Amino acid sequence: MTNKKITVRIQRFNPDTDQKPYLQDFEVELAQGMTILDALHLIKEDLDGSVTFRRSCRHAICGSCAMNVNGQNMLVCETPLREKIDKNGQITIRPLPYLPIIKDLVVDRSSFWAQYQRVKPWLIPPDNVPEKEFRMSAEEVAALNDAEHCIMCGACYSACQVIALNKQYIGPHALLKAFLRVLDPRDADPRARLDDLDKGDGVYRCHTIFNCIDACPKGLNPTKAIETLRKLAMKRQAFEAARKERQKTLDKPVN
Amino acid sequence: MYKSTGFISFVLRRFTGVALVLYLFMHIWVIGGANSGAETFNDRMEFLGSPLFRIAEIGLLAAVIYHAFDGIRLLIVHYFDVTEYRKSLFYAAFVVSVILTIAGGLPILLHALEG
Repeated sequence: MTNKKITVRIQRFNPDTDQKPYLQDFEVELAQGMTILDALHLIKEDLDGSVTFRRSCRHAICGSCAMNVNGQNMLVCETPLREKIDKNGQITIRPLPYLPIIKDLVVDRSSFWAQYQRVKPWLIPPDNVPEKEFRMSAEEVAALNDAEHCIMCGACYSACQVIALNKQYIGPHALLKAFLRVLDPRDADPRARLDDLDKGDGVYRCHTIFNCIDACPKGLNPTKAIETLRKLAMKRQAFEAARKERQKTLDKPVN
Repeated sequence: MYKSTGFISFVLRRFTGVALVLYLFMHIWVIGGANSGAETFNDRMEFLGSPLFRIAEIGLLAAVIYHAFDGIRLLIVHYFDVTEYRKSLFYAAFVVSVILTIAGGLPILLHALEG
């Protein structure tokens, strides 16, 4: 039995020789259980060694291989090839949109990381760190809304229409991380975080287009996080006072 | 271009918003004509009485209704936790706008065709 042949269209761009990106077609045999990344490997190994893309873990946890497949951002390592073939037997792979292309499917993510640094993604510990562990309640963990599952792949960032128009905007990835730190009962300075997010290029720049939710391969919800941050930014004084009160009992078991 | 219902609503919101601002300038121009006397005002009203502007009024109605319902949709998104219904909310706002535009636009169209 021979396998079905499909066409993989890859957007190519070599900044040294090409004026602008173009699509190149590759014929690939569709094998059982093949992912899109497998097809890219097959093309790079057998058909054209100059095809350039990022990938690392192949288990949807490193966040290297986010690409735009048939107009949607996704991790190609976890997406079955069979699912994304259109009725013409084609699949189109492009780099993440709205970001500068370095080569072929590799984009420059400098602005992505700069905004990530801006929100201070690390935990600012309280003065009285308990001798043993911090104790959080189940509700406090649930309120974080799985935000810690973010793998920093950039799918939401490059799907965001606001980012497309304005790279000063903090972006859904960094706002989700800020949400995680602001709502963490261990964090000592939610007030300073909210002060920064409250500026013109912060939470209010979001136009609730929801592309970040559609794009996230981990099923996270940056829009909901941004809406929560907006509400907290409005009552940050009371929130800061409540946090100070909460941190007095961080070493004691909760209910 | 990252196509989604959110993107369509974003573009329509901006498009209708700019259209409404442009309409406002024309509106002020007509109403402001009253400052220069009844004759000027009547002249300007007559200029807008042509069938072309009557039909353009349907477009104005559509822009006002869509922009209003999109605003209500956004208020719902801001104040309630409904991000999982984002597509349904957009379709609801769009369908309601279309129905109201037809209901309000039909009389305008018939009136414009009559004379």
